Amino acid sequence: MGVTFDKCDTRPANIDAILSGLDRYNPETTTVFQDYVAQQCEDRTFDCYANLALLKLYQFNPHLLQAEPVTNILVKALTVFPSPAFSLCLALLPAHTQPFQSSDAEDSSDFVESIQKLALLSTLLESAQYTQFWSTLNSDDLYADLVADVAGFEELIRIRIAVEVGKAFREIPAEVLEQWLDLRSREALEKFVVEVCSWEVDKTGATGTVIKVPSNKENEVRSEVKSERVGVDMFGRVIRRGFEQAA
Amino acid sequence: MSYEERANAHPNLGDESDVEEEALVNDYREQVNFEDGMSDLDRTTSLGGGSQTQDLQAQLAAAATPLEYQATLETKFASYDNYCSLFHYILNSDGPVELEVPSYYWAWDVIDEFIYQFESFCRYRNRVARSGSNEEEAQLLRENPNTWGCYSVLNVLYSLIQRSQINEQLAAMKRGEDPLAYAGEYGSRPLYKMLGYFSIIGLLRVHCLLGDFSLALKTLDDIEMNKKAMFARVMAAHFTTYYYVGFSYMMMRRYGDAIRMFSHILVYVSRTKNFQKGGNSYDAIAKKNDQMYALIAICVALHPTRLDDTIHSALREKYGEQLNRLQHGGPDALPLFEELFRSACPKFISPTPPDFDNPAINVDPVDHHAAIFMDEVKNTLYNPTIRSYLKLYTTMDLKKLAGFLEVEPEKLRSWLLINKQRSRQVRWVEGGLLEGEPVNANDLDYALENDLIHVSETKAGRRLVDWYLRNLARVY
Repeated sequence: MGVTFDKCDTRPANIDAILSGLDRYNPETTTVFQDYVAQQCEDRTFDCYANLALLKLYQFNPHLLQAEPVTNILVKALTVFPSPAFSLCLALLPAHTQPFQSSDAEDSSDFVESIQKLALLSTLLESAQYTQFWSTLNSDDLYADLVADVAGFEELIRIRIAVEVGKAFREIPAEVLEQWLDLRSREALEKFVVEVCSWEVDKTGATGTVIKVPSNKENEVRSEVKSERVGVDMFGRVIRRGFEQAA
Repeated sequence: MSYEERANAHPNLGDESDVEEEALVNDYREQVNFEDGMSDLDRTTSLGGGSQTQDLQAQLAAAATPLEYQATLETKFASYDNYCSLFHYILNSDGPVELEVPSYYWAWDVIDEFIYQFESFCRYRNRVARSGSNEEEAQLLRENPNTWGCYSVLNVLYSLIQRSQINEQLAAMKRGEDPLAYAGEYGSRPLYKMLGYFSIIGLLRVHCLLGDFSLALKTLDDIEMNKKAMFARVMAAHFTTYYYVGFSYMMMRRYGDAIRMFSHILVYVSRTKNFQKGGNSYDAIAKKNDQMYALIAICVALHPTRLDDTIHSALREKYGEQLNRLQHGGPDALPLFEELFRSACPKFISPTPPDFDNPAINVDPVDHHAAIFMDEVKNTLYNPTIRSYLKLYTTMDLKKLAGFLEVEPEKLRSWLLINKQRSRQVRWVEGGLLEGEPVNANDLDYALENDLIHVSETKAGRRLVDWYLRNLARVY
């Protein structure tokens, strides 16, 4: 199962045509890409390569830059962590946004502050500090504004976290998982792991409730010995030499 | 030294020539033959006569010649105008122009110098705005916002690519068809073909300088990365290509692929070193060489892997102590990561005129990219610690290990997740450079059962083929 960064199953044909031609540099396509970002926010899809093309248009035409599509792209990029998507988006933003500086400076614009706030969220997700991620997200109304356009943001993040947990855990204490997923009531947690993840809840253990993750390719952990690949072509030269000398 | 001389000089390097070196010589022979074939097509007569041709010859030569280091802004503007009129003449005359180019390397030199001047102009402009000291120059730059504009530079490169139908030609070559059938009126001429081809490499570089790493790799879709590719015939082009491809991979967190790219070209350079010395591009190559070793050191620290023996020993020699510190990880290694990154990264540029009225707002693009990269380094700083401990056990209690490391169990859970995530990487198998398959790039794997960590290690079997072949070659 290959991954191709520049392809996206949900990308409409007209976007694909723009991306593969020189129209991707045409300032007039900015609105097309902006609409496409709005659509991604709505139908929960994500097309990193197309979004980068919009950020590039902004990079070349700073007067066209609008804060909302940019922050929406960044919020969408959060929902696919862990991945380089968020950093690749940041790389195309103006350098003065200084994403990893603290946002305390008095004179920084709202736009810069939003970027810095989202970069903090990205750092928390990429460094697997999920509990802090939720507390940060809930700490400031500005975050609620930033993620408002992205349909099902919290749900999407929860699913991503669950996927990562599923790769590393066979069993996980319920109290750990409920903090990571920010599902404060036990019923909500059980509902989520059973219905969304198809995992099991085990209440029989002595140490409290445990969530059991069925075995998958990533969490089974087998030792193996990788043997060397040996092909006939590697011996081509030796064999040829043998013939040359015989002749 | 011409290619022929180089190729002939090569077999005399010593009797110990091993398999790869032999292959290199063959490569060079093929390249040389290829060049011979091309030079037949090259016999063109220059258009018109008299002074016009001479002007043109002067322009052609100037386009491939570096500006003086201390060149004034006026010179830079004039140089831009020179490129504009030259490319306009080449692209927009009635039909393809008949030009006698000064040398075989001219096409590469011209594209290389064109982009270099774009890069240094943008950086200079940004510096003038940032320092805010030279009001006269700031005014001049303010009045000419479109000189060395990103749209004009990209326009030149894309136009050269389109005129020469080079992508169509390369795609045909990939399919094993005759590229000439797709070349058209322009692309069948060496001048257009070479300019078009090197414009692709130029685009790779420009996109990378602008921080668009995925588009940089996408640009090379039709070029096959091997020693037989056309870029391999000009050493500087060969080198530049691998540097920027490797760097782009690195910024996309595909460290395995980045290491593969850097190693490939560094091995090539180390084996052909003897006949590059003395060339005027030698110093530039030596500098890039060191930069790539620094980047390999970074990549290996973030993504432990077995290196080619030649690369490994050279890396130990150049960056031995630093490499140890990088591989050890932890907060102490942070400044070193940043120092190496800054010394080895491309000189990033901002494509648009800076804000001359607010010096403070014009951040150096290198700082921007370094900060983004360092965030990822910080997030993964404890991976080496985790790995070194887990290597010792087959099962381990999370709380006990947290005690050893003197951290909260909650923190250790995060570290374990991070290390697990980062050991999964996309790796190229076939097709375009952006394609790849997710693989487990680490020999250490683990899973948690509540607080119990189960560890497993993938062991590599003994590598016998290489040893066997080497010894066979020695005895008969």
